[in-house]
Amino acid sequence: MVAPGLAEIFYYLGFIVVATLVPIIALFLIVTPRDAKPSPMKLETYEAGQMPSGRGRTRFIIQYYPYLLIFVIYDVVAMFLFAWALTLRTLQPPGSGTWPILIFMGVLLVPLAYSIHLASQRDLW
Amino acid sequence: MADPISDPIGFSLEIMTSPLFFKVAVFPGLTSIGIIIALFIWLDRKITARVQLRVGPLYASPLGGVLQSFADLIKFAFKELFIPRNADKFFFVAAPVLALIGGAGLVGLIPFTPEWQISNLELGLPAFLAFVTLSPMLILLAGWSANSKYPFIGGLRSLFQQTAYEIPLWLSAIGVVMMAGTMNLIGIVQAQSKPWVIFLGLSIPGWYIIPQALGALLFFITATAEMERIPFDLPEAEPEIIMGWQAEYPGFLFMSAAGASFVRLYAFSALFSVLYLGGWMGPAPVPALLWTAIKIIIVSSLIILLRATFPRVRIDQLLRAGWTYLLGLAFLNIVITYLLVVGPRI
Amino acid sequence: MPDIAFFGFAAVTVLGAILALESRDLVYGAVSLGVSFLGVASLFFLLDAAYIGVFQIAVYIGAVVILILFTVMLVGPAKGEGPTEFRRTALFIGILVAMMLGVGGALASPSAFSTNQPCTPECDLAQFSQSLLVTYSVQLAVLSLVFAAAVIGALTLAKSERGTA
Repeated sequence: MVAPGLAEIFYYLGFIVVATLVPIIALFLIVTPRDAKPSPMKLETYEAGQMPSGRGRTRFIIQYYPYLLIFVIYDVVAMFLFAWALTLRTLQPPGSGTWPILIFMGVLLVPLAYSIHLASQRDLW
Repeated sequence: MADPISDPIGFSLEIMTSPLFFKVAVFPGLTSIGIIIALFIWLDRKITARVQLRVGPLYASPLGGVLQSFADLIKFAFKELFIPRNADKFFFVAAPVLALIGGAGLVGLIPFTPEWQISNLELGLPAFLAFVTLSPMLILLAGWSANSKYPFIGGLRSLFQQTAYEIPLWLSAIGVVMMAGTMNLIGIVQAQSKPWVIFLGLSIPGWYIIPQALGALLFFITATAEMERIPFDLPEAEPEIIMGWQAEYPGFLFMSAAGASFVRLYAFSALFSVLYLGGWMGPAPVPALLWTAIKIIIVSSLIILLRATFPRVRIDQLLRAGWTYLLGLAFLNIVITYLLVVGPRI
Repeated sequence: MPDIAFFGFAAVTVLGAILALESRDLVYGAVSLGVSFLGVASLFFLLDAAYIGVFQIAVYIGAVVILILFTVMLVGPAKGEGPTEFRRTALFIGILVAMMLGVGGALASPSAFSTNQPCTPECDLAQFSQSLLVTYSVQLAVLSLVFAAAVIGALTLAKSERGTA
């Protein structure tokens, strides 16, 4: 016996499995009858009409790295806020969750402001 | 239920005619997704053409060239499939196909009507938003695998762009959860069924676009950024980095990559109509499915209109705006929603 | 059906974890870690803890794996060092310990694997919010300090690394 919520999850998994099989089968159907004629020029990567030079995986500016770092933390914070939002009206005693979440968010807004301030100083990164 | 071993034909017939199979295979499942990709490509071309005083596809059918995009999709399937030298073969093939599958997975969560839904998860809204976060990873892998400069830049841009829109997207959806008190998508639509006010015999439906106007706007903007459509199409950016992460893709794989973007357009338009426009409900006695379809077409046409009218933002502008204005407005929206739901007390 | 699913997801989790340790290419390692996290998330779904599963997908795969991938790609095309004899031994010992822990746990307390009351995911989440916001509200405030420290610490570390380079 499975819970009703679990049955829906299994439907979803089944759908994903079918949705995975269809493009894979299509890919095989398309690939097999083709007469591929690769040539050295065709297999080169695109670089505005020139022969590609240097490493394909180039260096990229690290300038936006702080956003990536704080994203990991504030993703978790957003998940906590979802839990608060769901029980906004059902919490016992009513309204008791507001002060804790206000303090929680208030404390976390300070490092957010600091990190945005840091991230805007481009010469640091 | 027929026995699968002694009566294989009867068993397959029973499977084929079961409602769940129809839902997975035809509507809202795979076949309809394929057709809707083609229809959205056509809609995209037509609207963009109208804005630019062109006519767009014209000849392929009496209905203004609807069949043109179907023909293009079939043509893509017969192109030669080659993989660039030095590319990482596994991820090069797997990433766009997985992106397409992920898009289909998003559609599987949407309730078109209470009956026409593949899987009614109890936590439909956060599940949708969580599955959405997987696509930047696939784009990054696709860009990395090609071992070429433009795709790699596009993949990294997609990653940074995610940090800008992801948290405002979650926070703007929180407003809806606060009002509805549930995360189930069907429950959210049912919470909008009560009419807002009755004025001269006309009932204004209690859709969340009215109390959640700011949240809806934020959700619209961040969803456009998620779909990587102009003005937020930095990972593709045709004039700058030559289609970005899709630059090296041939034939079927390019079709998967481009199709995945249109599937996400479809899924997000449907989610927007569920969250803010009352889903399958409407003021006139029209079949429920038609209401959903009308709302999806309106929302997606708006998103396509943005593509035809706006210039692209720069990535530093997007990151800065995402972490200051969008995030700040999302917090403001949560405060407004709190005042609406609970009142001015703590 | 849930049993078969459990073994499938457990196999995905363990295989993903092993591949994450053993693959020569760091990008493949990071993606295997993502697959392993996906297996863990599926296990949470199977336990009717859907919110934790969603949390796992959004935070671990959507943010942590991406951070690892980015860092690996930023470092460049350097391959990780190949598996050595020592690492194979460590892997073997790790699997053995995990099996012993699992078997021991299953033998020790059959009651630990049974739920005390039937509950939908939503009421589960409501209980979670109740205890998070009301019972443990002081701990929540401390948690926010931990998060704040994590943000500032990460920024400081990243910044000073660039400053000295």
